[in-house]
Amino acid sequence: MADFVMEAKHVYKTYGYKKTKLEKNPNQQNCVNAASIVEAVKDVSIKIKKGDIKLIFGPSGSGKSTFLRCMAMLEIPDKGEIYLGDECLTKPGVDLNKARARIGFVFQHIYLFRHLTALGNVELALRQVLKLPKEEARKRALAALAEVKVLDCINKYPSQMSGGQAQRVGIARAIARNPDIILLDEPTSALDPELTGEVIDTLRDLAREGTTMLIVSHEMPFAREVADEMIFYDEGTIVETGPPSLFFNAPNTDRAKKFMTRIINRTTKE
Amino acid sequence: MFEFLLNPVYQGWLIQGLLLTVEITLFGVLIGLGLGTLLAIGDIYGKKPLKAAIALYVEIFRGSPLFVQLFLAVYTVPAILNIQIDHGVLAFLVFGLNSAGYQKGYMKGAMETILDDQMQAGQSVGMSKVQTLRHVILPQAYRIVIPSWTNEFCSLTKSTATLAFVGFLDLVGAGRSILINNMQILPVWIVVGLIYLAWITGFSKIMDIIYEKKKIPGIELFMQS
Repeated sequence: MADFVMEAKHVYKTYGYKKTKLEKNPNQQNCVNAASIVEAVKDVSIKIKKGDIKLIFGPSGSGKSTFLRCMAMLEIPDKGEIYLGDECLTKPGVDLNKARARIGFVFQHIYLFRHLTALGNVELALRQVLKLPKEEARKRALAALAEVKVLDCINKYPSQMSGGQAQRVGIARAIARNPDIILLDEPTSALDPELTGEVIDTLRDLAREGTTMLIVSHEMPFAREVADEMIFYDEGTIVETGPPSLFFNAPNTDRAKKFMTRIINRTTKE
Repeated sequence: MFEFLLNPVYQGWLIQGLLLTVEITLFGVLIGLGLGTLLAIGDIYGKKPLKAAIALYVEIFRGSPLFVQLFLAVYTVPAILNIQIDHGVLAFLVFGLNSAGYQKGYMKGAMETILDDQMQAGQSVGMSKVQTLRHVILPQAYRIVIPSWTNEFCSLTKSTATLAFVGFLDLVGAGRSILINNMQILPVWIVVGLIYLAWITGFSKIMDIIYEKKKIPGIELFMQS
């Protein structure tokens, strides 16, 4: 048994790097425009134990989402290793679909399947990935939808739901397969402020049940309440980690201090 | 003026012509849809040589007149290959291949509007690319493409008129045969035109109803953004 549910070791991901061109013409340095290179993930390592709730936060554009997507292998890291339990996902030849089936992912912009109802959205993977029989899939989908309290809109299509309802269906879709871990990419930031509460309540319920989660979020009160560890991420790398109490009282780094001040001021103003 | 319509022989020709037109169009549009879908997928996911081959295919079938394609397929190709193939089969095939050239574009366009986020969503729940295509991308793309598909159907129906020039009795062929007998140019073409009009209008209306019924709720909002 692996000690960790998920682990990232020295992960790198860069955008805008014209590797093929460079390899073909190693002398033509000007192929790469330095300004167009974005180092979204630079040497990031993280370890997540069963039941952990870790929260990544930091300025927008710093690469948090890219890192999270690398964790789910929705983007393939340039360098480094991602482990899901004992299995190294970055090795060539790994069945990534099987691995992704064990990871729940919640998108910032929700990304529900537009042609399916809430129930259909949750059922699809149960039928196609877990190959469950119809009744069994329906039962589990309904259980997941009940857990996020959206049973009233199981027959609605994504466009017919509020943002909060849709995101909770997104969470139901992620948890229905009983994944080892759930990765959430700013699950509330695309929602109207009055709708974030219902999504946060759902996440709080999941936390109470001991769900392992890695969350990119700036919901500070929520972080303070449930996170085991907060990770301050800036310019493509982890700047500082520690329990919420550290960040809310006195972060060690200046960058974290500044960021916390800004975000807490904003929250209290609201 | 229209008394020729009472002649049972003429009636038979017109009905036969309509049936051939209907059959060949439906068949052509369906082959075109299947092949067009494959071409679209190949163009989106294929490597460069495949993309180039698909582009060449599309240019050939879209860039040359259907009549020329039909003529080559029915007379030239079997002669060169020295084989005997039923002309009907060849004609069906040409209409299918031709339509695929156009429908590839419609399908690719529809798929590209939804591909980005929906593919990620599909993969995030553990489905493979193929599974996501089959259960998420294509079901949505087909619903989006229905209006373009209806247009393709209308255009292909009228293209069947070229069949008369390679010896088939389609609607235009039937009209020509009647003309030779009664010399009533205007009435005959009016009747032929009205039959086309009725069939195309009826079918398009049905497709419009299907589109409205099958439309993904809220897709208008999405397509605007």
